Amino acid sequence: MLHLNGLGKRFGEQWILRDLNMQVDEGECVALLGTSGCGKSTALRLIAGLDRQDEGSIELDGEPLDSIPAERRRIAMVFQSYALFPHLSVRENLNLGLKIRGVSPAQRQQRIETVLDTVRLREMADRRPQQLSGGQRQRVALARALLRDPRVYLLDEPMSNLDAQLRDDLRPELRQLILQGTQPVLYVTHDQQEAMALANRIAVLKDGRIEQIGTPEELYKTPASQFVASFIGRPQINLLPVDKQLTIGIRPEDVGFDPEGMPCRLISREWQGASQLLLLDSPRGALRMLCAGDLSLSEPLHVSWLTSAEHRFDAGSGHRLAE
Amino acid sequence: MNLLLLLPALLMIGLVFVWPMIRYGWLSFHANSVLTGLNPVPNGGANWIRLLDDQRFWQDALQTTRFAGVSVGLELLLALAIALLLDQRWRGRGVVRALALLPWALPTTMMALGWRWIFNTPYGPLERLNEFVGLGPLNLLSTPMWTWLVTVVADVWKTTPFIALLLLAGLQTIPKDLYSAFRLEGGRPIQALRCITLPLLMPYVLIALLFRGAQAFGVFDLIQVLTGGGPAGSTESVALYAYLNAMRFLDFGYSATAMLAGFLLLTSAMLILAMLLRLSGLMKPVQP
Ligand SMILES: Nc1ncnc2c1ncn2[C@@H]1O[C@H](COP(=O)(O)OP(=O)(O)OP(=O)(O)O)[C@@H](O)[C@H]1O
Ligand SMILES: [Mg+2]
Repeated sequence: MLHLNGLGKRFGEQWILRDLNMQVDEGECVALLGTSGCGKSTALRLIAGLDRQDEGSIELDGEPLDSIPAERRRIAMVFQSYALFPHLSVRENLNLGLKIRGVSPAQRQQRIETVLDTVRLREMADRRPQQLSGGQRQRVALARALLRDPRVYLLDEPMSNLDAQLRDDLRPELRQLILQGTQPVLYVTHDQQEAMALANRIAVLKDGRIEQIGTPEELYKTPASQFVASFIGRPQINLLPVDKQLTIGIRPEDVGFDPEGMPCRLISREWQGASQLLLLDSPRGALRMLCAGDLSLSEPLHVSWLTSAEHRFDAGSGHRLAE
Repeated sequence: MNLLLLLPALLMIGLVFVWPMIRYGWLSFHANSVLTGLNPVPNGGANWIRLLDDQRFWQDALQTTRFAGVSVGLELLLALAIALLLDQRWRGRGVVRALALLPWALPTTMMALGWRWIFNTPYGPLERLNEFVGLGPLNLLSTPMWTWLVTVVADVWKTTPFIALLLLAGLQTIPKDLYSAFRLEGGRPIQALRCITLPLLMPYVLIALLFRGAQAFGVFDLIQVLTGGGPAGSTESVALYAYLNAMRFLDFGYSATAMLAGFLLLTSAMLILAMLLRLSGLMKPVQP
């Protein structure tokens, strides 16, 4: 069990990360979700011991990690860049760490062969990293992490260098390889869809602080702020200002046709196959709406939604208002 | 089409390199000295036959090789240490980086004059210091062994910064993530030097070796100003010998022969070195 207590990090005067409290259980995958530059990688580097936090502490299974140097923490990290050693072949890349840790040659060989089969890279074993595709490189990085036999997995946007198709293909593989183990997993991403698909819980980060942490469902159904609401769920939620105090959030999928509803003008439509996304000009402002893909539309359109589907936010702070 | 685009560059190289080489080659098969009234007179291979038997030339070739080998070796070691130091983060690093380059920015002749003065007997500061120790005059610049060392020290002092800069550039192409990954694999920083830094830096080391090796073998101005080739020709280089043949003995044909022979020796040494490196696999292209 990984425990972060009030973790904080600053560069110079500026706090990059502040007051990070979180717990990741055995076999649990928590996604760190946030925009670029919000401190996700920094958080992982603190946990790995590559940087030193300026406040707070990190515990693993009840034991404080803070005084243990990175090389002895037994934490595996998959880097955004994969950080494969360019002068070594795939096999040598996997071998290096085992050798440094004093594993016997016979055992090294056996473990490397096994893991090469697991990630289906046996044919590529003698190639250098630059002779591999992005997906293959990522699998080498995963294999290296697996061989570390770590107490915690840290994954820093392992998919961000891959194209959309490959990401979808690799997701089940990733789940099978790493997320089914018993170790805690911290998964950094800026892709909300990926976070929803892979993680048991999601922590949404904003400006170095946790904005909300919870299951994907909780984040989707009861977002704690406008920021979380617009980060989670695609197409993006509609945020409609009511007055100086109140902003209403309504998800495009909660908007429906209703002869009694507001009259709207159709500005554009994106056909997505099973569904279509309509951009409407309503009396309350621009409105996104999701409806069935085979629906034929005739103007004027009248739409409405259930009051119970509304999310109510404080217009000033953006925080969710009590029901 | 491709050739057309290369034409300006080829012309340039032809003009400043190939043409002079051809001229040297042509001249080396001619007598062209005061005896011929400074007119080129074909003399078959007489210059080359003379060269094969010329003790002084081969002595100089040996001395120059020794000078180049020792200087460049020392420079590489020192430069590597400096580059590793300058690659770390510490306060005042920028200032030190700029200062470290100063010796290289100094014209060689000025630098050589400086060293000559420092080692001057009896007025140089070194001898002055020595007076306190009381060993008697050192006469550094009149003992072959010491004079040779002084030329090496001067060369190392001047060109180490250049190599350090080259290696520093190489160090900075190594992604920092590699070091992080290596640590998480359980490696200590000192092991990273051997497992990551040195292998990835090797192409830069080899470039420095080739560049500086060739440059040091052609050493002229440093020797000319610092020792004039002395004492007793013990620090004379091939380039200096060729220069003396042309400018003092006014024997242009033989000077061209010596120059060309030096060039041929150097290129064949470089080719052999490059081949050995290729065989050893150190030169494998690495793009991080
Ligand atoms: N060594 C450093 N010195 C100063 N500022 C830094 C340093 N490292 C990171 N930062 C700053 O810290 C902030 C967080 O960086 P971090 O790499 O953690 O972001 P991230 O969330 O991983 O972003 P991305 O999604 O782009 O990878 C950034 O604003 C960055 O500029
Ligand atoms: Mg990052």
